[in-house]
Amino acid sequence: MANTTSHLVSKWDTLHNNGPFDLKLLQKTKLQGKSNMPSEIDRYNDSANEIRRLLQEALDHNDGFRAYGARWSMSSIAHQKDRMHYNVFMNLDLQILSDDIHKESVYKRENLFFFQCGNTIKEISQKLDSHGKSLKTSGASNGQTIAGCISTGVHGAAFGVGAIQDYIVGLNLIIGPNPEDIVYIERKTKAALNSAFAAKIKSRVIRDDDMFNAALVSLGSFGFIHGVVLEAEDRFLLKRYVRKIDKNIALTLAKTLDFKNSDFKINGETDANGKGNTPYHYKVFINPYTNEKEYVIEVMYKKPFIDNYPDPFHTIDKSIYKDLIYLLIKISERFPKRIPWFIKQLQKQILPDVNEESLGTLYETFWDAPYQGPAFACSFGVDSSDSERALNALMNLTKKEGPIPGIYAMRFVKKSEATLGFTKFPVTCVIEIDGVIWKKSRNLMSLQEFSKRMIEVLQQHNIEFTIHWGKNADWGFSGLLDDMYGSKALEWKKCRNLLLSDKMKEVFSNDFLRTVGLSENVVHFDNEPEDLIVSN
Amino acid sequence: MKLSRRPHFLRKLIVVIVFFLCSSCYSVRLVSTHGAPMTCQSGIDEECPDTMGNYYRDKRVIVLDTVIKSGIMIQDIGMRTQRLGCESGKLFSVEYKNTFGGALLYLVTFGNKRKVKIKYICMKPEN
Repeated sequence: MANTTSHLVSKWDTLHNNGPFDLKLLQKTKLQGKSNMPSEIDRYNDSANEIRRLLQEALDHNDGFRAYGARWSMSSIAHQKDRMHYNVFMNLDLQILSDDIHKESVYKRENLFFFQCGNTIKEISQKLDSHGKSLKTSGASNGQTIAGCISTGVHGAAFGVGAIQDYIVGLNLIIGPNPEDIVYIERKTKAALNSAFAAKIKSRVIRDDDMFNAALVSLGSFGFIHGVVLEAEDRFLLKRYVRKIDKNIALTLAKTLDFKNSDFKINGETDANGKGNTPYHYKVFINPYTNEKEYVIEVMYKKPFIDNYPDPFHTIDKSIYKDLIYLLIKISERFPKRIPWFIKQLQKQILPDVNEESLGTLYETFWDAPYQGPAFACSFGVDSSDSERALNALMNLTKKEGPIPGIYAMRFVKKSEATLGFTKFPVTCVIEIDGVIWKKSRNLMSLQEFSKRMIEVLQQHNIEFTIHWGKNADWGFSGLLDDMYGSKALEWKKCRNLLLSDKMKEVFSNDFLRTVGLSENVVHFDNEPEDLIVSN
Repeated sequence: MKLSRRPHFLRKLIVVIVFFLCSSCYSVRLVSTHGAPMTCQSGIDEECPDTMGNYYRDKRVIVLDTVIKSGIMIQDIGMRTQRLGCESGKLFSVEYKNTFGGALLYLVTFGNKRKVKIKYICMKPEN
């Protein structure tokens, strides 16, 4: 039997210390040992039974229940005040055989992989690598669990690919305490696995595009995500270049992503006509406190995998004293006018070295996060055509009403099919400011105030936007959900209502969901498909 | 008066210098580029202190901080990974800390006592 230990605690915090938040009970499940239960399917089903038991316990105590993994989110999305479940040790992967593939599947069997919720991006990449495969994209680092990534919409800067949830093709959810409360959901129009596979994992099948798209970025509220089916691709290499280029060229590229007709070119990355190739990844770094005519950019071009490429890892890694960063923040709280100077001094540590080049797999390129201490990040999604206007509006705010101890970056992501995917524009430009957490002082506004002003400024400039679900924001801002998602939010709530019973909706709700206005019941449905209602 | 105070001041200075020299140190960490580290939760798992710094956050660290009495005939000293917190038996990272005090102890005892300060993290078990 899978074994769960329960710990009575009073507080819980995110990895980046964005809390602490109140908590009553923390639970941690470890799987049955391989030697006692050799079959992976058996151990997977055994852990599903254990989760159902924990859900029954939560129901019996009128408690909420929420799973979390690497706790990388900076918003309170992962927090539940009653019961939280640490699922990092639930890291099985199940083999998908030819017999498991749906007869109308649009996917190649060799590209489909089934991973349990607690697998991190790093673990998944390694497992895929052993099959000669790779994830299509990842975030800037590799420590998040797959369930956490898709629930919040973690993304990289692969503007032809999308975010992590966009290559998930099947979801295995546990939506209640009963045996029939295990469901396998996939799109009807893009089925991947057949009912025989679902039977192996004791799941009832739901093939429905709307339900799947809603459950994809679920904010942890469509049940316990027990496993995912993802579509991988053949291993590839990324040739990475860091350059400092004219600011206007960088911003034009941000608006158009038209590398073919840009003055920006890299030797060896052009076509037969001398026009620039379109990269896989584009990122722009901006220090808001300097009026430099050039911006640092990072581009990556996809290359076929070869065996004998040089080792991309540096043998020696150095990092600055963490205490030095804290000292600078403490000084900044008292003397905010020094912030631009501090950022300039730290720029070498924060930004990649100009003219740096590397070649490596996705796994090797988006490596371990070097800093895991207290941090904040505010991240807005805008249509890439609005990127320059949005950046200028936010930078002006930062300079005039700040300064804020952080630095801006822009990344670009292809539109997501997820109902509440924050990468909702044809190409979303994600404008983010990252930095070290500070405390409000007489001369320095709080993070909450800054977050509120960012929303107000974008609204004043009539720039349509979304916000990354896992980042810092004024989530209680009036009308925010409607402004960002309009009717999509109602669609999401309808699907959640169809899938979960009233009791289980309450179990899988949290303060974050209530604050943004997604926890409420939707009373009326048109053409309600009764067979979708599963949990009791 | 000034002359009589000087030896007192010098004594204090020497104590301070010796203290800083003995505790002065540097460390080097070897990290695997494969595998994932064994994780833990500070505030819940006893062996998961939140005070070891940036790199060790949420990682299950095993600390060996001891003086090994060896003898002048002993050349090598080996240490084994423990089972608790290292179920995989595989190492993810090892940090070795060198102190002036440790080097001094080795010298004055002719290699008889060897100060060892190691932090290691094992790989997370694969299921």
